[in-house]
Amino acid sequence: MPEDQPAQSVRRERRKRRGKKGAAVMRAVPATALPRASDSKRPARLRRGSLRAGMAVAGGRAAGALSRRLRLGGGTGIAGVVAQRLYPDIVHHLSTQLAGGSILVTGTNGKTTTSGFIAAILSDAGLRVWRNREGSNLMRGIAGALVIRARLSGNLRRGGQATSIFEVDEAVVPQIMRDVPLRIAVFNNLFRDQLDRYGEVDSVLTRWQQAITTLPHQTALALNADDPAVAELGAAYAGQVVYYGIDDTTFDLGWRGTISERHQTVDTRICPRCGSDLEYTARFFSHLGHYNCSNCGNRRPAPQVRATNISMNAFDQLRMNVLTPTHEGEIVIPLPGFYNVYNALAAIATAQALQIDWAAVVSGIQQFKPAFGRGERVQVAGRTLRILLAKNPTGFNEVLRTLFSDDEPRHLLLMLNDNIADRRDVSWIWDVDFERITNHTTTLTVTGTRALELALRLKYAGVAPETIDIIPVIPLRVSQLKNNGSIRTAGTPVRANGELTAMREAQTQADKAWHARGHRVTGLARALDTAIESTPPGETLFVVPTYTGLLDTHRELERRGLTPHYWEEKGP
Amino acid sequence: MSERSNGRSAYTLTLGHLYPDQLNLYGDRGNILTLQRRCEMRGIELRVVGLGIGDALAPDEYDLLFIGGGQDKEQAPVAQDLLEMKGIGLWAAVEDDMPVLAVCGGYQLLAHYYRPASGADMRGLGIFDAWTIHKGAHMPRCIGNIAINWNGATLVGFENHGGRTYLGRIKPLGKVLKGHGNNNEDRTEGAVYRHAYGTYLHGSLLPKNPHFADHLLTLALKRKYGLNGQEVAAVFPLDDALEWEAHAFMLERLGLHSAAGAALRYP
Repeated sequence: MPEDQPAQSVRRERRKRRGKKGAAVMRAVPATALPRASDSKRPARLRRGSLRAGMAVAGGRAAGALSRRLRLGGGTGIAGVVAQRLYPDIVHHLSTQLAGGSILVTGTNGKTTTSGFIAAILSDAGLRVWRNREGSNLMRGIAGALVIRARLSGNLRRGGQATSIFEVDEAVVPQIMRDVPLRIAVFNNLFRDQLDRYGEVDSVLTRWQQAITTLPHQTALALNADDPAVAELGAAYAGQVVYYGIDDTTFDLGWRGTISERHQTVDTRICPRCGSDLEYTARFFSHLGHYNCSNCGNRRPAPQVRATNISMNAFDQLRMNVLTPTHEGEIVIPLPGFYNVYNALAAIATAQALQIDWAAVVSGIQQFKPAFGRGERVQVAGRTLRILLAKNPTGFNEVLRTLFSDDEPRHLLLMLNDNIADRRDVSWIWDVDFERITNHTTTLTVTGTRALELALRLKYAGVAPETIDIIPVIPLRVSQLKNNGSIRTAGTPVRANGELTAMREAQTQADKAWHARGHRVTGLARALDTAIESTPPGETLFVVPTYTGLLDTHRELERRGLTPHYWEEKGP
Repeated sequence: MSERSNGRSAYTLTLGHLYPDQLNLYGDRGNILTLQRRCEMRGIELRVVGLGIGDALAPDEYDLLFIGGGQDKEQAPVAQDLLEMKGIGLWAAVEDDMPVLAVCGGYQLLAHYYRPASGADMRGLGIFDAWTIHKGAHMPRCIGNIAINWNGATLVGFENHGGRTYLGRIKPLGKVLKGHGNNNEDRTEGAVYRHAYGTYLHGSLLPKNPHFADHLLTLALKRKYGLNGQEVAAVFPLDDALEWEAHAFMLERLGLHSAAGAALRYP
């Protein structure tokens, strides 16, 4: 992230200088401790390091507490920003104390659910688990999450004994690998996402490859064998690699899929090793499947953890048979969406590398409760809301496939925003197979800052425009908010009460100005009401938002007293 | 090669879609889909033929050509194939007034060359008297929503390009109203040579710019059938209320709503 870069260069500088002086060890490291990230000869000078770390912890926690007191938000991000400013090395300083070991989870899709599965499995195995659940998965959020569990001495509280799971944004992987000693790094997939933020898929893969060369070989990799880009990460790695994948080819799109599915956007269709076209004998979705390169011989590695006999019994019951080198058994995933097979396999591969008891693997997955926006239920006015986040073409296609694979007609609310956290470029919606929802919705409401664009996409997919309730959200311009005395930070989950009131006021004015020019009604709350009212009591409304749409939905439901504050911290 | 058609029609057009598997980064499916659906609603048959690497381009077989944008890694083999397999055919088609739409990377490939921040130039076809220079990572990419003035009407879209394009003796597609355009210096956007249009606008471009989609169809139909000199929108009117609402919504977003009334030619 750009804002983290100055801190990084300072850190590198400092490391260079200290490296020359060399020194003793910073802190007594338990025998079970893990390899340090990049530099095992890392310097020490206990007192100064701890003093600075202590200051950073104090500053960060004070800022976080103030932020929570003012109800500006969970305060994790601000705690991280302040702590990093006071001591740029704070993440490394604290994470080397994580005696229970650390697990990194990344990928374009499925990070939250995969981390959730791993946490559930480890808890069921009787281990203490800690996740960076409160903060964002960017560097400042991770720094903040660590700072919040640290003492003013600059050392971690007893939480340091827990196994730590870091859910990490794709772009932050190199920084985490440099700063956090890892036991396992899980790479689940790499899809086209947020191109306007990160550049292109290739550059993310290159950064991952470079970061992996800095890993000590005690770190194990859990890699998706079915993703050619991810699998390539294991090719030159000297440490342990656990591949996971789907062996059951009955879900091959080539046989079962519709024509438009076979034309689905494919993100990595060329061999990551030689650049030739890959051939697929089975493709499950996007570029995930059984592939080989006729030019250089690169092929899908045989997975050690694999799923066979997959079946979807009910909307959220995915049954699969799992084989590992040591076990075989049936596991039922209590979530909708074929993609969750990969999320579960990633967690099982991680458990395999940690030699976790099989019973804990089974119960961890089967008892899993989905996170917000990942298929959980909310009861509203006698209707059931099920919210399924869809933030990129692959994610959206898979959500639509999940909802419309049987011929059941659905009540649907689609929400497309173009805030920075969503991606400002919405052209990706033209790569989503909306054709499959045509004639399969009972009621259809479309909202968000780009509702009209989405409605247009649906029209060109063959949906009659008059059957769509279009209720756009007018994006607030910075100037409107300044006049109003409030500042907007896009993607911030919760704001101070005063600020929220000011924002709502600004939104009302923007909506009025919009209507005054003769346009249709607007607003997320109204869209939600319309969609709920058009769904008969007792039935289910499926809400499919992009990322900030999910946050907005959450805020709106919370305002109606329907969901808990999700930044609430659970002690380690 | 893939084909689609819907049978019996007085008018039949064939669209050549260049490199559908390599250059499909910015929702280019939306452009093809828009042309397809707008023809379908009018009873015009539009066949879409994909032209991949290794396929030759025979200009007589097509009435309309489209080329989109892709990732850098995928653009190099495409550039070579374009010169070797399709260059002469594409030149002949353009000189014969075939409408061509080139977006993003496709636009760059149809100009003289693309000069990366490091490494060798990538040669283009030189249909547009223009060239593109990537000045290095220190120069921010041109990213964001954009609106331009195209012959007195507006076009809206999204741009995302690192290279800066400079025009020689050639007309731009339009003048930038909001956004970066070719190079963020001279307020020009895109390029036009005969009926070949190069532009950085995607998003997709054609769905919410129905007048531009119809302009391309008109050019193709006039070239093939004469159409008595009329515009396709006049011969086969469509209900474009939703398209124009999406268009106007973006103009409002860009603070151009006052300009919109004056500049827009609502049907």
